[in-house]
Amino acid sequence: MLEHMETRLAKLARKGDQRAFAEIVELYKDKIYYLAYRMLNNRHEAEDIVQETFLRVYKNLERYDEHQKFSTWIYRIGTNLCIDRLRKRKAVYSLDAEVNDQEGSDGYAMIPGDERTPESEFLLSETQTTIRDAIDSLPAKYKSVMILRYLQDLSLQEISDVLDMPVTTIKTRVHRGRDFLRKKLENKF
Amino acid sequence: MDCRLAVSLMHEYLDDDLSKDQAIVLKGHLEQCPNCSKLFHELEQTDMMLYAAQHHSFAAPDELTNRILNSLPKPKKQQVWLTWIKQHPAVTAAAVFMLIMVFSSISIWNSDNQLVVKGASLDQVVIEGDTVIVPEGKTVAGDLTVENGKTKVYGEVQGNVTVIDGSLYQASTAHISGQVKSINQAMDWLWYKLTNMFTEVAYY
Repeated sequence: MLEHMETRLAKLARKGDQRAFAEIVELYKDKIYYLAYRMLNNRHEAEDIVQETFLRVYKNLERYDEHQKFSTWIYRIGTNLCIDRLRKRKAVYSLDAEVNDQEGSDGYAMIPGDERTPESEFLLSETQTTIRDAIDSLPAKYKSVMILRYLQDLSLQEISDVLDMPVTTIKTRVHRGRDFLRKKLENKF
Repeated sequence: MDCRLAVSLMHEYLDDDLSKDQAIVLKGHLEQCPNCSKLFHELEQTDMMLYAAQHHSFAAPDELTNRILNSLPKPKKQQVWLTWIKQHPAVTAAAVFMLIMVFSSISIWNSDNQLVVKGASLDQVVIEGDTVIVPEGKTVAGDLTVENGKTKVYGEVQGNVTVIDGSLYQASTAHISGQVKSINQAMDWLWYKLTNMFTEVAYY
């Protein structure tokens, strides 16, 4: 039902209906922002990603395949932009090397994050913060999978469509990511 | 059961991919193996905590929507127009044709308030002001067309005489071997223009 509406909106937007596109933005901006914020842990970069995602959606509406779920398509665009951004960071800061003794956490964690967080995040419990930090410390290839799986509630098949990887690969990553987080959260149980 | 197999079954279970039979086998193992039982408990906790971390009220800044909509490329509007044209080629063609017809006929109509004389042998014709005269004893060998003027025929015309937006006087001595056409109304004139278009093109 919801899918039909989104596909219809996409078709209208393709014909130049600005209001239909504005509705698509309303439907997805929070989801993409959440995804990008979790992936990059930076408010400004997340906003950039959201803006860039919708710009690409707009420019490529002609190429959107109606038989595909619209959500899969937009998540793919957003996730790829986040992964690109992470890769660029890596290139700029050369922070590939793992920091001593801190299992799994590499240099990304040392980039000073944006101190300002969305207002709704101020009331997070300590446990919630620990979970966020644990997700944030995941290596990029597990991070995207785990965020899509748990924070965006996508099925393994959907993640496989979004990332354009076989379901078996996604499964392996979910399993490893889950185990990684288990170790991180051990003392919280 | 091998503990490594048990671990992978645990993950399958958390993925909702474990069949009932396998789940029973796993349960049997967990009851015997305290290590696996502890691990399972921790993984289950992790899974639950991760789901709980979902933030349903997480919202992007309000002004972001406007920023997105304003950043979209503008010339798309023209494309809408083009798309419409592509979708209705017949209507577009008809509209363009009508437009050209209306404009060209208006411009032709407006430009034609000068005296125009067309014919095969115009040296036989005398023009006085807006009056075209074929004097007595003279012979026009062929057609004679006069626009926006008076025509007086005293002599001979070996062809058609066409008078557009003017008057024709034939003296008793006149001899016109072809047809005499007098065109005054705009629609008649337009029809004349259309039917003669090809012959005129061939002439020049």
